[in-house]
Amino acid sequence: MSPFHDDSLRPSRRAALKSLASGFGYLAFAALAQRPTTGIASPAGGPLAAKETHFPARAKRVIFLCMNGGPSHVDLFDYKPKLNDAEGRRTADSPLKGNAALMPSPFRFARHGQSGQWISELMPELAKQADDLCFVKSMHTDLPNHAQAFLQMHTGSFQFTRPSLGSWSLYGLGSANQNLPGFVTINPPTDNGGARNYGNAFLPAVYQATKIGANQTPGFYAAILGVDQEPGPPLRNVDNEWMTKQEQRRQLDFLRDLDSLKLERDERNPEVEGAIESFELAFRMQDELPALLDLSGESQTTLDDYGIGPDLPTARFGRQCLLARRLAESGVRFIEITAPGSWDHHFQIDSALKSSCQATDLPVAALLRDLKQRGMLEETLVIWAGEFGRTPYAQSGTGRDHNNKGYTLWMAGGGVRGGLSYGSTDELGYQAVENPVHIHDWHATILHLLGFDHERLTFEYAGRDYRLTDVHGRVVTDLVA
Amino acid sequence: MFRLASAFALTAFVAAAPAMAEEGANADAPNAAEVAFFESKIRPVLVKHCYECHSAEAGVAEGGLRLDDRSAIRAGGTRGPAVIPGRPEAGLLLTAIAHADRDLAMPPDQPQLPKEVIADFRRWIERGAHDPRDGAATVASDRETLLAQAKNFWAYRRPVASPPPAVADETWPRDDVDRFVLARLTEQGLAPSPDASPETLVRRLHFDLIGLPPSPEAIDSFLAEASAKGIDAAIAAEADRLLASPAFGERWGRHWLDVARFGESSGKEANIPFPYAWRYRDYVIDSVADDVPYDRFLTEQIAGDLLPYESNRERARLLVATGFLAVGTKNLSESNETQFHADLVDEQIDSLSRALIGSSIACARCHDHKFDPFSMKDYYALAGVFESSKTYFGTFVSPASQQGGELIRLPRLDDEVALHPSVTAKRYAEMKEQLAALEAERAEMDEAQKEFLAGRKPKKEFTLTDALRNIWQTGPLVGKLQTIDEQGRAVPVAMGVLDDPAPTESPLFARGEIARPGDPVPRGYPEALRFDSAPPIPQDASGRLQLAQWLTHPEHPLTARVFVNRVWSHLFGEGLVRTVDDFGRTGEGPSHPELLDTLAVDFAKEGQSLKRLVRRLVLTRTYRQASIFDGNAFHADPDNRFLWRMPKRRLEAEAIRDAMLAVSGELDLDRPQGSLVAKKVLDKPISLIGLDKALPEDLDGSTTRSVYLPVIRDRLPDVLELFDFAEPALVTGKRDTTNVPVQALYLMNSPFVRQRAEAFARRLAKAANNREARIELAFRLSLGRLPEPHEIERASAYLASASDADAAESSTADSVAVDEEGWNRFCQALLSTAEFRQLD
Repeated sequence: MSPFHDDSLRPSRRAALKSLASGFGYLAFAALAQRPTTGIASPAGGPLAAKETHFPARAKRVIFLCMNGGPSHVDLFDYKPKLNDAEGRRTADSPLKGNAALMPSPFRFARHGQSGQWISELMPELAKQADDLCFVKSMHTDLPNHAQAFLQMHTGSFQFTRPSLGSWSLYGLGSANQNLPGFVTINPPTDNGGARNYGNAFLPAVYQATKIGANQTPGFYAAILGVDQEPGPPLRNVDNEWMTKQEQRRQLDFLRDLDSLKLERDERNPEVEGAIESFELAFRMQDELPALLDLSGESQTTLDDYGIGPDLPTARFGRQCLLARRLAESGVRFIEITAPGSWDHHFQIDSALKSSCQATDLPVAALLRDLKQRGMLEETLVIWAGEFGRTPYAQSGTGRDHNNKGYTLWMAGGGVRGGLSYGSTDELGYQAVENPVHIHDWHATILHLLGFDHERLTFEYAGRDYRLTDVHGRVVTDLVA
Repeated sequence: MFRLASAFALTAFVAAAPAMAEEGANADAPNAAEVAFFESKIRPVLVKHCYECHSAEAGVAEGGLRLDDRSAIRAGGTRGPAVIPGRPEAGLLLTAIAHADRDLAMPPDQPQLPKEVIADFRRWIERGAHDPRDGAATVASDRETLLAQAKNFWAYRRPVASPPPAVADETWPRDDVDRFVLARLTEQGLAPSPDASPETLVRRLHFDLIGLPPSPEAIDSFLAEASAKGIDAAIAAEADRLLASPAFGERWGRHWLDVARFGESSGKEANIPFPYAWRYRDYVIDSVADDVPYDRFLTEQIAGDLLPYESNRERARLLVATGFLAVGTKNLSESNETQFHADLVDEQIDSLSRALIGSSIACARCHDHKFDPFSMKDYYALAGVFESSKTYFGTFVSPASQQGGELIRLPRLDDEVALHPSVTAKRYAEMKEQLAALEAERAEMDEAQKEFLAGRKPKKEFTLTDALRNIWQTGPLVGKLQTIDEQGRAVPVAMGVLDDPAPTESPLFARGEIARPGDPVPRGYPEALRFDSAPPIPQDASGRLQLAQWLTHPEHPLTARVFVNRVWSHLFGEGLVRTVDDFGRTGEGPSHPELLDTLAVDFAKEGQSLKRLVRRLVLTRTYRQASIFDGNAFHADPDNRFLWRMPKRRLEAEAIRDAMLAVSGELDLDRPQGSLVAKKVLDKPISLIGLDKALPEDLDGSTTRSVYLPVIRDRLPDVLELFDFAEPALVTGKRDTTNVPVQALYLMNSPFVRQRAEAFARRLAKAANNREARIELAFRLSLGRLPEPHEIERASAYLASASDADAAESSTADSVAVDEEGWNRFCQALLSTAEFRQLD
């Protein structure tokens, strides 16, 4: 509270509230006055206020576990017995049949859970959650290049700058916690399109992700240079070394009074109203966000569950998974975390894939379990996906190449059917043949789970109504519980 | 609707009997079952998969074919009828969806429709293709109609000046502009707002013209002049002073750089720096400051290399100007060279057409434009012009970049500037040797590969690693050697464009796919925008010069209109056409068509001078209006389309930062040489610059004007990124204005703002020694006005309690000597006010 109690000195407080109230009236009016082409009108309370969905939502938020690099589906989830013996490789129903370079998976598969989902030995922890997982084994995307496929996974388009999945989600849903940003991305990669993957493009900037985690060095360079991939503080400009919190509060009270006096003189001035709100949220954010990002209060049990501890291979991703849970719990709508390193296993897949799995298997399983225990999984859509899969044939003898024609991702919670394995690739895992699901279809389905008709969640830009799925996409209703 | 129809189908279809006879044209009672079948099985498929390219609603009829009404679907398109009732194989619709003809596989680029759907169509046509859709909709079903419509579209007709309308209040207008505005206001039952105060006007003028706040001295002299000679004379004199300032070039040059999507790195996933792009930035700033006529300015940027010159200096300037075509984003990780060049040309066509004529011609790369009269032929006619030119963008092949470019060597000047490092002559010789060795090795590799492919054992064997090493060692050497002379000294180089010695025509690539080239298209201008006096494109040149002449031709309907509208929007917050980058059908029409046309005609008549246009506009009574709120006017016209007041505007990122530096007394008005990219980043991939401790974390760390901050794509300096800088990958005629908490965090906590506040406080301490005088000066410096009594009281009270220690003894506030730190915080608060970032 400000130390000022003399009302003659502070006509601003009441006046500001009054102005703010009428200001929101202005916003509502402006929304009504707009041409009715936008799918979602900005309601009173600003663009981040919680909004009505098109129909009741199954998921209230999304946690996107981004598996940067293209994990090998034929070594993880898409069990292909014919790949593993010479006879099968010769006779399989696949364009690759008889290809001399076909490489059996070096890993054993087994069925798990009551649903009997196939999961390889590399994911023992995840396997315990098999009945919660909804596998889509017939994914396909347009190009087998990282940059394009990564952008397409995030924005639907690799040619044009388009809003990201998270921005569309927040645009549709609004924020559930006015003290926090509605879309957070932790340690996004700087390559493969960088900021475009979590950008708002032509949507208002309030829908862009707040990036947590400093600028990173791409894994490729970090390995060569022997440097940490994530140096620096997670969010810029949250600390103030010149003032105590109380001092800053008094400074902001002074600032708010100056802004309020301006508002009073102008009668209506949405920019000033916005600034007052914005500073207040920033002030609250700098309290709540660093506290949320600070894991020091977590119990040893929790840290152990997520595999967080010095020198543990799971430490980094474990921290991110735990952060994701904390942010989700606090009302952030869309949280994206990116696996450390890369799943781009062109070489030595037997050892390299194993270490990628080691770094992520336990944390991911812990996150699912934690969400479930807290009763949050039902309304939290968890997505595990890379930009494509890998080829059944070998590259450089020991690795696998990029494969966009068929690959696997999974989802859990948020209204999807656990224990389902949807669609399939051919007998060698090369190409989606049964119930193919394109990125656009997947996007349409995610929006559906969030309560939106992907054809009606639109934004007008330069005279055209844009949507996440462009002119494509179908909701894969079989995935919905 | 479909749901209802399909429910209906379930009950009715069972009883349906085949109806072979064709329904009559006025069949008012078609068989209900057939209609139900159509509604449930056929119409939804047509709507979902076909209407996008074949319907009146979408405004497009590819191949002259519309599928959205009965007669249209039967009449068909250029290839013939789509549906002949009763004869499924005879019409083209079934052929297309069954993929029976490879060239006619529909929907394009998508998997075939499900077999059941195709069977439904067959059955529908067999039964007589019952179709209840009576076409009320109309659309241009062929190009002639589309072109004819285009001729009547306002933006494609030549602008014509109108006599100014009569107005009731003759005392209000100062210029014909005001008559157009006032007449329109009166017509709407509105009245203009009163003039803004002189204090407001001088601040508005300074920010609008030079992007900096007026100093207290400038305010005083303006007020004195206004009371001595009147406000008209004062504004004219002030405008002239500001127009003559080099800062005008920096402010308005930046407006052009937004439109020119200027950037100092390639963007996209590779994101390699462009260390020589700054020369184009400086060219723009200087040209604007020198008021180079707009038609000349454009011609230089499109075809400067083809213009005559009288000195090396002029030649260098003209070459740098073509940087406009070279500084766009490049997909350097594209390994297919043909694809890379097709994308490069596409980026040039797109940027040029959006920036200069507000048209999205590049939409016609893969299909005829859906809304505007641009065909694929138009697109490839332009593509030929750029394919006959070579773009020098100067990055080299490396692990991070698949594509290498070259650089233009500028003619030598006595005072030339080359910011990249030199090497010794010895090192130069070594590099040449290394390169020769690598090239020799490369030749051996090629030879070995040839042998290998021929089934013979090569004399020498190479691994993939050898090949990569060779490529990656060669790239940087080639890159470096381009930038030094034989003594190893750095020579001036630039990005830009030169004509290719052998001009070519571009084939029309089906669906824009480079693997599907069609017939070559002669180079030329889009059909809808052709006029008789447009210069023909010669066989032996790229046609860039003619393209520039066509664009700047007095008969061109768009160029001048688009430009005066851009200028208007910078001064009045919105354009007369609010979609400043889109003058096509998807854009908005002008709020004051006669005014826009008259301005465009006058602009051309008066020498295409930007300064003259700006001067004219800021001297209008319209510009002089206050930004006050008026409830009645607001309800009648909430968007202020009729200009009943001046809107309030948020300052741009550069103006916010420059104003902080100006207010704190630290602003260095001299132009720095080059930019951070040219001096420190050089060739480093942008994703690595975070590791470089020599670079400031916020990529700022300077006190020069913001226009000189590095414009690195996807990695902008904090202040630019946070305050809605123009996205450097896109033509941006109008920036966003956001109001997000990360901006507040920057103002509250960033070292940059804190340092400005400290310098501001020191400046106050030096200039005034009592509290009230300091507060007054602080307001005058930062907000251009004196504080009100409330504000002085509130500020004094704050100063007395700024620190926790002070707050503890707040009862004695008045007697406490305010410490330095209190002033720092006070100053930071002033720099953080919304008013500081806003123009009234």
